[in-house]
Amino acid sequence: MRLLHAATLAMTLITGSAQAATELDLFFPVPVQGKLANEMQRLIEQFDATHPDIHVTAVYTGSYDDTNLKTRAAIQAGRPPGAVIMSANFVREYAINGDAIPLDSIIANGAETKGQTPAQFMDRFWPALRINAMEQGHVYGVPFHNSTPLMYYSVDAFKDAGLDPEHPPATWQEWVDALRKLNRPGRWGVMFPGTYDYLGWIVSGLAMANGGEYYNPGYGGEVYYTAPSTVGAVTLIDKMIHTWKVMPEGVSDANAVTTAFFQGRTATMLLSTGSLSFVRDNMKTPYKVAFLPRQLVNAAPIGGASLIIPRGNSPERQAAAWTLVNWLTSPEIAGGWSRFTGYFAPRIAAYDMPEMKTYLAEHPDAKVALDQLAYARGWFATYNVVGVRKAMEDGVQAVLSGKATPEAAMAQAQKEAEALLRPYVEQTALKLPN
Amino acid sequence: MSAASTTPHSVSLAPSVIAARRRIPVAWAAYGLLAPSAVFLLAFTYWPVVQVLFGSLTVKGFRGEAHWGFGNFARLFADPHFAHAVRNNLVYAAGTIVPSLVLALGFAVGLSETTRLSSALRAAIAMPMLIPLVAAASLFVFIFLPNAGLLDHYLAYVGLAETNWLGDPSMALGSIVAITVWKNTGYYMLFFLAGLAGIPGDLLDAAKIDGANAIQRFVRITLPLLGPTFSFVLIIALLNVLTQVDHVIVMTQGGPSDATSMLLFYIYQQAHQNYDVGLASAATVVSVGFLFALSVVSLRSLERGIHHEV
Repeated sequence: MRLLHAATLAMTLITGSAQAATELDLFFPVPVQGKLANEMQRLIEQFDATHPDIHVTAVYTGSYDDTNLKTRAAIQAGRPPGAVIMSANFVREYAINGDAIPLDSIIANGAETKGQTPAQFMDRFWPALRINAMEQGHVYGVPFHNSTPLMYYSVDAFKDAGLDPEHPPATWQEWVDALRKLNRPGRWGVMFPGTYDYLGWIVSGLAMANGGEYYNPGYGGEVYYTAPSTVGAVTLIDKMIHTWKVMPEGVSDANAVTTAFFQGRTATMLLSTGSLSFVRDNMKTPYKVAFLPRQLVNAAPIGGASLIIPRGNSPERQAAAWTLVNWLTSPEIAGGWSRFTGYFAPRIAAYDMPEMKTYLAEHPDAKVALDQLAYARGWFATYNVVGVRKAMEDGVQAVLSGKATPEAAMAQAQKEAEALLRPYVEQTALKLPN
Repeated sequence: MSAASTTPHSVSLAPSVIAARRRIPVAWAAYGLLAPSAVFLLAFTYWPVVQVLFGSLTVKGFRGEAHWGFGNFARLFADPHFAHAVRNNLVYAAGTIVPSLVLALGFAVGLSETTRLSSALRAAIAMPMLIPLVAAASLFVFIFLPNAGLLDHYLAYVGLAETNWLGDPSMALGSIVAITVWKNTGYYMLFFLAGLAGIPGDLLDAAKIDGANAIQRFVRITLPLLGPTFSFVLIIALLNVLTQVDHVIVMTQGGPSDATSMLLFYIYQQAHQNYDVGLASAATVVSVGFLFALSVVSLRSLERGIHHEV
């Protein structure tokens, strides 16, 4: 009983002292290596100092997948965070399940965005980012930081192999030719992370560069794992490991890949633009970055995160959350975060700022990342996206380890993905008029 | 309130004895003292158990109506990933319980005499149990790093090439088993040390006088008398096999290709990645039921053995 009294008293004290300002929590993930969490804390302190009527607590919630899990749990417990920096490809699922609120009316009534339609509002962001932020014409996410996969390569390794570091391979044929020259005892041609989440992203990029779509950007109930473009991409990886032997067998995680790159044990790696700053800080020898090589077209999926406002927040908290979302995605803040992390800023206007122009001039690698954005596509998003993605990743991991052929692995993956999508498909595409 | 009103049933014996002497006030005091634990026990142990049972029998699809049935269990037994998790868990159980128990017993017997050296060695062997599993797993991620990691660094001196300890489906479960044995052996050793200390010295002396050699004394006296300790440690080890999942989450996420997926991780995935509470609950009911049955059987048979021998 005494405990209960003490708890009640504490609650009263907390709520009492907070009456003046709206209390808000922001869930944020740190998906790439680096000191991102400290910088986020600093930003939120800056926000709190300039917005006396709102008090935001930044809550570090782990990886993208962990953040998703914690947000769901908080929503179900009836205590949703005010805003969440959510992996951009989860936004569709939040929209489908009604777990995030559509932002259309908040946008139309917002001080800065008065009277704007969803499409007008989205005009402030790079076109490739709009696909994952909207669902069925409504805005559910506001892009915060974004990335694409890049090819990082060691200048020394290129010179050593007699390749011109100024002209990195652009097509798959040039890529494979280069990798076979770069491969030496003690140095692999290429490595990329084969762990869950990262692997699906890289494979979808290769499938898109092979002319494919990989998933249905307009409808969350379909994936194309057995399409020739996907099977071709997985076969390329299989051959890199088992035919040309320019990549180590089995699954490597991001730490293993970057460590190998820093130590010169791999000549190239495929990694997110979000890791640009981390690589810049740790790589001791010269390196450069280039587009993901193409087979039929230049293409790469976007990655990164959007801000969402979960359901279950009071109108007062929604308004405060919108203020925070607007502030975090303003050209100044988004630009600063971009320079700190290596992610590119989703706001087009951020690149008109003098700091950003100087930064791009000093860091040509960041410029390459921005240039690739012109060819970027939406990020793989479906109903039950983690499970549907894992079905494919399990298949590719079997290929990486030499335990399955690309065709068999992808057929199995398609079957499992369809079983996971089935409940949604039955209630949508297959729910026909009576 | 409902919690308080149900407590009398679970504690009916003690208050009735006391009430005979002093009547109501003491009984109330007893209920009052037990109530806080009862509330927590009901709210955080029994109520979730009931919820899981209900959840396992509730069948619900996307936007569909929920109804009762055994559909979740039917789906569970048809799921190849579940079968895979069961198989992995059995390999993991055999791979961790047998070596850690044998090692723990060996260390306990070897270090049962208290000297300065043996105390230091005991402390060293028991050390891993002080490290939280999640922290140990995070450290081992770096130790297992191919080529650059500590393990490969030292193995290179004996001419072994780089190994992808966690990224090769045929190695990953073995790596997980290895850190579990490292982590648990010291803990089990402590129980065996306590068990050895409880064996009366005169029994061993009598056997010595009768001409039994060291091996005979160990096999005929020490081992049988350690029976209760064995059954206890075995139950603890069985529980660990099912309830420890931190290292899987940190090191492999069940991969590559499901090679390290185990029952609790499967349950976690269904509940939190696929949001399939029905399937997760059914898997929980099946695995806890199996573990419960196994514990009862092993306790019974070991206890029978003990009574027979002593």
